[in-house]
Amino acid sequence: MTDYVMEAKNVYKSYCIKGEEKKESKVVEAVKDVSLQIRKGDIKLIFGPSGSGKSTFLRCMAMLDIPDKGEIYLGDECLTAKGVDLNKARARIGFVFQHIYLFRHLTALGNVELALRQVLKLPKTEARKRAMDALAEVKITECANKYPSQMSGGQAQRVGIARAIARNPHIILLDEPTSALDPELTGEVIDTLRDLAKEGTTMLIVSHEMPFAKEVAEEMIFYDEGHIVETGPPSLFFNAPNTDRAKQFMTRIINRTTRE
Amino acid sequence: MFEFLFDPRYYPDILQGLSLTIEITVFGVALGLLLGTLLAIGDIYGGKLVRGAIVVYVEFFRGSPLFVQLFIAVYTVPAILNMRIDHYLLAFLVFGLNSAGYQKGYIKGAMQTIFDDQMAAGLSVGMSKLQTLRHVIMPQAYRIVIPSWTNEFCSLTKSTSALGILGFLDLTGAGISIKGGTWEIFPVWLVIAAIYFVWITSVTKIMDVIYERKKIPGVELSMQS
Repeated sequence: MTDYVMEAKNVYKSYCIKGEEKKESKVVEAVKDVSLQIRKGDIKLIFGPSGSGKSTFLRCMAMLDIPDKGEIYLGDECLTAKGVDLNKARARIGFVFQHIYLFRHLTALGNVELALRQVLKLPKTEARKRAMDALAEVKITECANKYPSQMSGGQAQRVGIARAIARNPHIILLDEPTSALDPELTGEVIDTLRDLAKEGTTMLIVSHEMPFAKEVAEEMIFYDEGHIVETGPPSLFFNAPNTDRAKQFMTRIINRTTRE
Repeated sequence: MFEFLFDPRYYPDILQGLSLTIEITVFGVALGLLLGTLLAIGDIYGGKLVRGAIVVYVEFFRGSPLFVQLFIAVYTVPAILNMRIDHYLLAFLVFGLNSAGYQKGYIKGAMQTIFDDQMAAGLSVGMSKLQTLRHVIMPQAYRIVIPSWTNEFCSLTKSTSALGILGFLDLTGAGISIKGGTWEIFPVWLVIAAIYFVWITSVTKIMDVIYERKKIPGVELSMQS
């Protein structure tokens, strides 16, 4: 038995950006030999410059992108091994997207309910009850019958979180859950995440919400150019990071936050 | 001029012609929808070989006249298979296969506008690709495609006149037959055109109602990404 809820071992992932002409295409090495362990109840926060590969790494963890090399473990099960039922594995991982990606043709309730019906095969009434519970947990039951296009970005993202937690996944991966929202709407999403943190939800979050990180994260992970540069508790990063890259980045980001 | 309208001798031809036109159009659009969906999915997911085969299929059915396709189906296919096949059955199939060639384009186009993010979302909650197609992608794609179906319906209705080449009596065939009996060329075609018009307008109105009923805010052709 492993101690870890989830683990990445020496993961590599590159992808090709196609240019207008063939010679303009280039290979981006988004994840280069990244390893990471997450225990039950951990809250870890990945941050770093945009385009550094954080999102790709998170998508690899969820097996939404398949790593080129390396292993992803969910508990004892190696998801990168051959013949693994990835759908079953993904059902135990919650994922929240930067651009929310709610099912556009379903109401908030329908969005949360769909996987409960189709994946967990719950009977209708039970699925409905659990979906309503999940919506209540993110305090958005008033939007239950609204379609995604009728909600604000903050409301939609909370529905996105409800959709991710409704299956009681072992871990929730969040890819910059607030960065596509208008600044005045990030607060409500952060509050929701804070509530989840209090309940001991295991989370791996890509985010630049520094006050939030300081408050809830056990560990912060500075990610740049496809690999983990430095890890440590928030106090390390807010006081004196060891690497120059992290120092520079923290200075920039803290200045930006205080200006706002 | 319009005396033939009150001549019961011509009624069976018109009724028969109209019903064949309606039957074959409805069947064609329905079979085309089923096959077009499979072709669209094959075109998005298939390997090189599948995609190549689909290109050949679509270009054949879009690139050659319908009457040539009917001709091949009725006179060549049974000979090659060395079987007797009912001509009506073959004609119905040709209309379905032909419509599939067009509908594949509409459906694939609609799927592509909704595809990437909705597929990722479906997989992220633990559904398989097939489940996501069925419960997420297709319900949206079909809603977007409804106006294109209306077009397909109108166009297929009028294409049934190609059936004349096989000696089948569709609505246009009925016109030819009545014209032969009355020599009232212009009035006969005016009446036939009016029947087409009433039928097609009714279908268009029904499709508009379905489109409005099924419409979901945010699931439209000009969707924000």
